[in-house]
Amino acid sequence: MRRILPWAAAAALPLAPLAAHHSFAMFDNTRSITLHGSVTKFQWTNPHAFLEVEADQPGGGTKHYTLEMTSPNMMSRGGWNARTIKTGDVVTVYVSPLRNGSPGGLVLEVILPSGKHMLPGVPNASRYARTSD
Amino acid sequence: MRALALLLAATSVAASAADHPDFSGEWERYPTYQGDEIDPRYAPTPIPDPPLKPEYMPDWLEKQKILAQRQEEGQPAGDNYVHCIPDGMPAMMMGMFPMEIMQRPEKITILQEAFTQIRRIYMNEELPKWDEVNPTFYGASVGHWEGDTLVVETTGVKDYVTFRWAPHSESMKITERIRLLAPDYLTDEVTVEDEHFTRPWKWSWVYKRMSDYKMQEYVCEDNREIIGEDGVQVFVPKGKSE
Repeated sequence: MRRILPWAAAAALPLAPLAAHHSFAMFDNTRSITLHGSVTKFQWTNPHAFLEVEADQPGGGTKHYTLEMTSPNMMSRGGWNARTIKTGDVVTVYVSPLRNGSPGGLVLEVILPSGKHMLPGVPNASRYARTSD
Repeated sequence: MRALALLLAATSVAASAADHPDFSGEWERYPTYQGDEIDPRYAPTPIPDPPLKPEYMPDWLEKQKILAQRQEEGQPAGDNYVHCIPDGMPAMMMGMFPMEIMQRPEKITILQEAFTQIRRIYMNEELPKWDEVNPTFYGASVGHWEGDTLVVETTGVKDYVTFRWAPHSESMKITERIRLLAPDYLTDEVTVEDEHFTRPWKWSWVYKRMSDYKMQEYVCEDNREIIGEDGVQVFVPKGKSE
């Protein structure tokens, strides 16, 4: 899979202030990782929503990732709702990983089982490098 | 005769409602988050640095360095949010998320969706002295009309509820002049006076009317980010969820 989101589209995304509840500085915006796996929970909460994923590992097996999203306000205005992702859905997620190496990160984009691409409206999205396929 | 009385009564109600502009409804900060082009007629005025007395400047400048770093990262200025704590006044009026105004002759209520913030403006009452009210996040607010302008005075804001980290005392007084620039554009001209300042601190915000927006619930229920002892914010993955 090549880069899916043209940056022109990213630039047209909603801007920062609405979503930025606090700092996203703990995420490494110089690189991305791509996870594929089964959702164990999609949590629609303030200040931020969360996606819990059992991600497939290269050598087999899975690893659990806790992924932060933006706020329900921001996401709902971008077409999301609390049932956009369900437990058990197999999704592909583009993530800015945690700098400290823990299995977690910030969701940049999700591909739903239907194939639909969803953007969570990350503030200043163009500053988050997409380096993973 | 009864019909005439009713007609007169109805006319009188309509006239009194028309005495003042109606701010009721949902509003969002302008320019909006969609990043639309700014119509110069409705552009807010920039927020200058707080006119602090010299003795308060060094500490504030130090905090500004941290703030500048956050802004470079595209992050918010406030730090209340990091602790799931609302803005309070005057920061609440920045319009982080949409806000709703409910207008009655005797009371105007403003709700900010983020953190379910609420302030109540009691009309045609005298502003209490700052030390006669309990310090709160939103302070005590009274309002009156000057023509088409709603003038709101507020005092009694907790001294640690700050905007842009500007220090202030509990006697801080905020005066807002709120009026329509056009049917769908509302401005809030803010003046903050405090003994920490050499002169009043002034700026304006502008809001655009939202059509078909219903305010959402906001409960800050699962904050997984904390500030460590070193002042660095960290994300705490809770691991596998049920």
